[in-house]
Order: sequence, then structure tokens, then C-alpha cells
Amino acid sequence: MLRYLGQRLLQYFLIIFIANSLTFLLPRIIPGDPIQEALQVKAAAAGRQNVDIQAWVKTYNEKFGLDQPLWRQYLNYWGDMLRFDFGYSLFDYPATVMSKISAAIPWTIGFMSVAILLAFLVGSALGALLAWPNSPRFLQGLVPLLMVISAIPFYLFGMALIWIFGVQLRWLPTGGGADPTLIMRWDLKTLVNIVQHAILPASALVLFGIGSWALSMRATMVTVLGEDYITFAQAKGLPERLVFLRYGVRNALLPQVTGLAISFGLILGSGVLIESIFNYPGIGNLIYSAINSKDYFVINGTVSIMVLCASTALLIVDLIYPLIDPRIRYGR
Amino acid sequence: MASSQVSRLRSTRLNPSLIFGAALIGFMVLVAVIGPSLVNEKLARVGAVEPNLPPSAEYTFGTDSQGREVFTTLILAVPPTLRIGLIAGVISVILGLVLGLIAGFFGGWADWVIRTFSDVLMAVPALAFMILIVARMQRPDITVVAVVVGFLTWPGTARGIRSMVLSIRERSYTAIARANGESEVEVLFREIMPNLLPIMLASFIGAVTMGIYTVMGLEVLGLGSNVIPSLGMMIFWSQRFSAVLRGMYWWWGPPIIAIALIFIGLYFLSFGLDRFINPAIPVRRSRPRQPRNRSPVSVSAAPNAALEVKNLSVIYETPAGVVKAVDDVSFTLGPGERMGLIGESGSGKTTMATAIMRLSRPPAYIVGGQVLLGGQDLLNLPDRELSRLRLKEIALMPQAAMNSLNPVVRIGAQFEDAIATHLGRLPRKQVDDMITQALTKVGLKREMARRFPHQLSGGMKQRVAMAIATLLHPKVIIADEPTSALDVVVQQQVMHTLGRLQEELGAAVLLIGHDMGLITQFADSVGVLYAGKLVERGNVQEVLDNPLHPYTRMLIDSLPTLDGKRALVGIPGLPPELLKLPAGCAFHPRCPFAMDRCRVETPAAQSPLAGRQVACHLYPGRDGLPPLEVQIDTGSQAALAVDKQAGA
Repeated sequence: MLRYLGQRLLQYFLIIFIANSLTFLLPRIIPGDPIQEALQVKAAAAGRQNVDIQAWVKTYNEKFGLDQPLWRQYLNYWGDMLRFDFGYSLFDYPATVMSKISAAIPWTIGFMSVAILLAFLVGSALGALLAWPNSPRFLQGLVPLLMVISAIPFYLFGMALIWIFGVQLRWLPTGGGADPTLIMRWDLKTLVNIVQHAILPASALVLFGIGSWALSMRATMVTVLGEDYITFAQAKGLPERLVFLRYGVRNALLPQVTGLAISFGLILGSGVLIESIFNYPGIGNLIYSAINSKDYFVINGTVSIMVLCASTALLIVDLIYPLIDPRIRYGR
Repeated sequence: MASSQVSRLRSTRLNPSLIFGAALIGFMVLVAVIGPSLVNEKLARVGAVEPNLPPSAEYTFGTDSQGREVFTTLILAVPPTLRIGLIAGVISVILGLVLGLIAGFFGGWADWVIRTFSDVLMAVPALAFMILIVARMQRPDITVVAVVVGFLTWPGTARGIRSMVLSIRERSYTAIARANGESEVEVLFREIMPNLLPIMLASFIGAVTMGIYTVMGLEVLGLGSNVIPSLGMMIFWSQRFSAVLRGMYWWWGPPIIAIALIFIGLYFLSFGLDRFINPAIPVRRSRPRQPRNRSPVSVSAAPNAALEVKNLSVIYETPAGVVKAVDDVSFTLGPGERMGLIGESGSGKTTMATAIMRLSRPPAYIVGGQVLLGGQDLLNLPDRELSRLRLKEIALMPQAAMNSLNPVVRIGAQFEDAIATHLGRLPRKQVDDMITQALTKVGLKREMARRFPHQLSGGMKQRVAMAIATLLHPKVIIADEPTSALDVVVQQQVMHTLGRLQEELGAAVLLIGHDMGLITQFADSVGVLYAGKLVERGNVQEVLDNPLHPYTRMLIDSLPTLDGKRALVGIPGLPPELLKLPAGCAFHPRCPFAMDRCRVETPAAQSPLAGRQVACHLYPGRDGLPPLEVQIDTGSQAALAVDKQAGA
């Protein structure tokens, strides 16, 4: 048990190490000076064309240690990572990158986790029914439809949803996380407003998610239903529901749960596009506006947080898997 | 080998996903190739036309807010988007192929690199990573992005190729090629490469999808080239000018449809390719209704029968045609009788066992006959009543009990659900006592109930399956090769336990197997199954002393005797392929007594001796087989060996 944990942790740290080294190193190989560009954008935004940008850049580089040799920067980078200190926003000085990230994270996690869970539950249930030979025939007709929805990049659904429910029918707000005029309080009105704003982006995600969860569940379930223990369960005279749930679904759910955990790990990254389409104030939108204002430190910090989140999820999957699948034990 | 290749081709040709996907992608490629030469490029430049016009006769898809004509821009946007996919796909496949081959042939460090790299990539969301890189570029170069995506997706390809190489290397024809003196390189190119093609194609499509997806994501975020139109940039532009909110559906709609078509095409292509690589037996969705014997007249069970099987027939529907796996089989099992049913693999033993319990699953279908248990026809009962009889009246001891227990549920719970189903809710204590008793009877400790199946040995699992099967004291037990996966010592123990259980319960047992020795030790009577037909039936001792069917005789001759004086004699030839059954008596090609009549006419069951049954044209007119002269035909023995190699 301890040895297994140790091995996994070691592997985990290796992965984090390599991944973060790549996020440090690769962008620095690419030619370009993000600071200069950022300051140019900033200067243009402020309407000052004649500022001595070079001097400004120099001050910045010194301030953030960007004039130091690469290995120094690398060490600094790790020091910053360990303290969750990603520096200041270039565009929005003196706001720190971390403060921007912390403001955005609840929005993303809020609407994404509801969407992921909902899609997982509905999709897996649907997939299990699709594989069950005694379920209604019309369900089989859904398969091509599910294949089509899970093929299309889901943020495109978002645009169609805004068009239908926001522009044509005017049922729901077309973007943002809450009404700009809303005063945030812990009350029902705020909650309703936030939920209303989350419905459309979440629906785009759920629609797509249902398709892919259903298809993967269906595939696993078909394999499981071919196993001998299903035949033996039927030979025991068990009612169909019991065979379906405890013998079929219970076994087919294992790989699905892994997938769910990985989706949660990628939660910060996978919402980027949908958030930018809906102008939703989460991590995705943060990175979108950072890209457009060339706020390189924000981009860097956000990506680092995403990597950390994804690799932690991988570790957690490994650690909880023995709990859901008794065949796997830490010891072995 | 040849026949499986044929069926693979057939299932591919009929694979609608592949055709649909290829058609869509083909169409988009066609648009990309000839489209640009058909449109006026100038209309796609900023400010070329009056902005914000809805579709009209002049501008088919209207114009955007920057003064581009949407239709022209759309046509010009397709080639860059597809080119991105192509670059990413080619790089990914080349890298994956090289590293996958290295890993497959040499293992070791290449394996490790691939594994670590794909772990790292799982932790780094590709899009986030690309954002980081592209955001630093002065002028985003999407081609560079495509190259990087290719570098990011190779581990998937490499993994696929590596496992394919490993599995092909293990296959017999590669071994034969190597034995024939071909070098590793020759083996690689002649034997392995052709088999890798489909998987490379699938990986290629995967990388293309990933490439287009990532680049499009970057473009939608504004990290694309503002000069060259592409489908992702069209989305970005329309977003920046709030085309959706301003109701300019003609601007954002067409690129979305084009993107959807590309991704749907790629998805169906890869789905179809997957079907090609792992062909599944196409199962007809609509199950043919089991023919029901409406006439209640025939439900007249023989008096004093525990189980009566009448004219049972089961077919398999395969892509290559319909196979009769069980053909018109009838027999009666007396109360407390131990009957053995012997047959080679492929003779329909297990098919029959599952059909008796009405557990046949597609592609197997019961097409006729009756299974009478206490005056009820199991094949004609409503599902709910049948479930009530299972386990309580008639129980199955499954073949391969290794996999017959639910791996994620404790042993005890697998007893409990059966008890709760058949006896309703009972007090905890009583349920525990029943389980303990059932486990004790098969020689297991009660603690086993708290374990999971994987914590038990094969023999223990088989005992658990026996304990479950006998839990409710059924009158009939169908034991389908209960010892097939066990070693000889455990086999004996399990058979001994089965015998003891049978005595205690007084149940009738139908023991199915291929081991003549094991079965004759256990059973009171035997039936011999050949190519789905019951060819002989009678008391064990009588059959052993005086077999009536030539096949039975040969089965007996192939048994080792205790004094070891007699030479062992094999049965020449192979069991028949059910798809190509010989006309007449299915055994005639292997039969030393075959007559002209045997090649034409299927023999019916008859009873030349009291209490015996045989299906052979040698009868009536005699009460035993004529003496058999054994010639050791070296030619056919050698042929047999060759056949086996080729078939392996």
C-alpha cells in the first residue's frame, strides 16, 4: 500500500515536473518578446503613442527577472510555482495573476461541474439502455444522432443556442455570468440570475457530453453483457432489472468513472472556448482576454494552474480506482 | 483463416459508417481542391463589398461586417483548414510509426518514452499548451501549430502500432515466415506492414481531427492569422462583430455547417475504420420471434421424467450463413439420473446447455423443439415464470466458472440476490445459514462469502458456482463442462463434490463435456453428440461394452486403458465445419463403415437394442458394430498435423 502510494506519487511528481518544464521552456524557444508586445498594446489602449517603450520594457524585464540567464529564470519559475505566485498582470497592473485566477475559478467550476455531472449521468444511463437488448426499439434510432452530436465541436452548439434561445426567443441571457446591474448577495435572486446565465453554456456542454458518454458507455456495456457472469445471473433467475443494474451497469461503470475523473481534471481547460463564446467570467474568458491584451503572465499562470489541476486529477483517479474496482489493490 | 478473411472483407464493404464518412470528407476535399478556382478571390478581401448585407441573388450567403462576401470566404477557408489537419496527421503518423515500430521490436526504453510522454500529455491540455506557445508569436503561424500538434499526438499512434506489432509477431504466420528463413526486416515489410495499414489510417484520422480541432480552437480565441481566411477565423470574426447577437445568421451559420460536416465525416470515418480493425459479428437487431408450439397436445411429458428434451434445434446466424448448431435433439432425463453428454468442441454441447435453460443469445436462436420440466415447456413459458423456475427447479453450473461470478460484488451477495429473488425477504440469520450451508457442502469455509471472486482460486470459484447452483435444491442440474479450466487434481475433487451433491439432493444431472473418461466415471447413462446431432444414447456400461455408433467406438478407443496394453487410436480427420456440413450422415467422411447411402441420406434415430438409441444406417439388422480394422494411415496423420498448423 505504502509502496504503491510512493510509486504513484513519484510518477506524479515526474509528470508535473516534465509538464511544467515544458510550459516554461517551449514558449521561450519561440521568438518574440511578450513584454514589449504587451506594453505596446497597453500604451495603445491608453492612447499614449510617444512613450519610450524600450525604457519601459527594460524596467519591466528587470522587475520580473526576465533579463537574467535562462537557468535563473527556470529556478525562479519553480519557486513561483510552489508559492502559487505567477506575478502581476501586465495589462492590469497591479492586480496579481493569482487574484485574477481566484476570481475566475468559482465561475468555471460552478457551471462546468454541474454540466459535466449532468452529462455523465444522463449519457451513461442512455448508453446502458442502448446496449440492453430489451430496451425500447426507438432508442436505437438515437445512435447516429448521438454520433453526430459528439463529433461536432461543442462550442459551436453554443452559438446556435444563443441564436435560438437568446436572440430569437429571448428566453435566456445571451452571455455573461450574471446581470451587470446585479448586486451579488447570498440570496435567491442572485442565485436565479446566475443559474439563468449558466443554462445556455452548460446546455451546449451537456448536449455534447451526453453524446460521448452514451457512446462510450454503450460500447463498454456491450462487452460486459457478453460476459459469463451475465449468463449465470440470468440462469439464477434474477429479475431483469437486477441483472441490468448490479451485473451490467455496475461493471460497465468502472471505466466511465475514470473518464469522469479525467473530465474533472480538465475542467479548467475544457471550458475555454465555450466561455469565450458566452463571455462567461471564468478561467476561459480570462485566458481569452489575456490573449487579446497580450497579457503573457496571466496566460502563463492560467496554463500552469490547468496543468496542476489535470495532473492532480490523474493522481486522484489512480488512488481512488481500487475503491471502486475491488480487483485492483494497492499492494500489487 | 481464409474464411475469416472473406467475412472481414464482407463486413467492411457493408460498413455504412465508413462510406458515409468517406463521402463527407471526399466532398469537403473536393470543395478544397476545385472550389478556390471557381470563385473570385477578390470578394474575400476586407472591404471588397458593401458590409452587413443579407443573402441575395448577387451575394449568395450575404456579406460580413468587414466587407467580405461570405460564400467566397467560406470556399477559400476550407483548404487552409484541411491542410492543417493533413500536416498534423502526416507528422503524427510518421513519428508514431517509427517509434511504435521501435518499441514493438525492441521494447525497453522506447516503451518507457512512449508511456511517460503520453502521461505527460494527459496532464497538459493540448489547447492550453498551444495557447502558451502561439501567444508568444509575433504573428501567429498556424502551420507551426499544426506541426506541434503532430508532435503532440504521436503517442496514441505509437501505442496502437506497438501493440499491433507485438500481436502480429506472436501470430503463427509470422513465426512460420521466420522459420522459413526470412530476416526480421523481411518479416517486418512482408508480414507486418500490410497489417499496420488500417491502424495507421485510423491514427492518421485521429491526428487530423485533433489538429483541426486544436487549430480551430486557437483561431476562435483569436490566435489565428488575420490575413488568410480559415473556418476558425470566420467564427472568430463573426464573434468579434457579435454576428450572433445582431442576427447575421448568414455570417456565422455557413462556417459552422462546414466545420460540422468535416468533423462528422472524420468521426464516421474513424468509427468505420475501427469496425474494420476489430470486426464484430453483426448481430441482427430484430430478434426473430421464437417459434412457439401453440398446440398444447404435445405437452405430454413422459411419466417419470425429470427433464425431457424434444426435437430441440438451435441455429447461429453468421455473416457467412445460417448454421445448425443443435439439430433435432431429443432425450429424456430420469429423476436422479446422471447423464453424460459427450462431444468434440463445436459439436453443440454448450449451445444445447444454454438452449435448455433458454439462455441462448444472438447470434444463437432456438428455432424449434420443447424442453419439458414438470409438465411445463420451458421454451414456451412467459419470461417471468421461466425466471421463477431457474435455479429453483433447474440450475446451470456454468462452463468457465472463472468468469461466472460478478467481479465487483462479494461472493455472499451473489448468493443473497438469488435467495431474495426466489424466497423473498428472509431474516438475516436464515440467509447467512443458507449461505454457510451451501458453502460447506462444496467444501468451502463460510468466510469465503466476504471475499471477492478474484481472491479465490479457479477451483474455489468453480465450487462457489456449484454452491450457487445447488443452493435451492433444484431437481435438474445442467453442468456444462464444470471442470474444463481446472487442472487434473482439482478436476477430480470438483467431480467428487458434484457426485456427492447429486446424491444428497437426488437431482438429475446432465453433465456436458468432451472428456469421455471423466464422464463415464460419473454418469449412469451417456449421449454422444456429433455436429449438433445426438448419435448415440444408452447406459454407460452397455455403451462402453458395445458401442453402436462408429463414432462412439472411436471415442472409446481413444481412451487410455488402465493396463495400458492397447495402443491409443485417434480419430482421423477434423470435426466438421458446421457451415459446410457434408450431405447425408455428417460423420461419413471420417467413418470406416461409410456406405453410399450414408453420403445421401441422414440417418434417423432408432433403437436396435432395448434401452439403446443410435442414428446410423448400419442398423437395424445387427446388434453391434462390425469388427473394425485399424489402419494407421500415416498420410492422413501428417495431413492432420499440417491442417492444425495452418488453422492455428
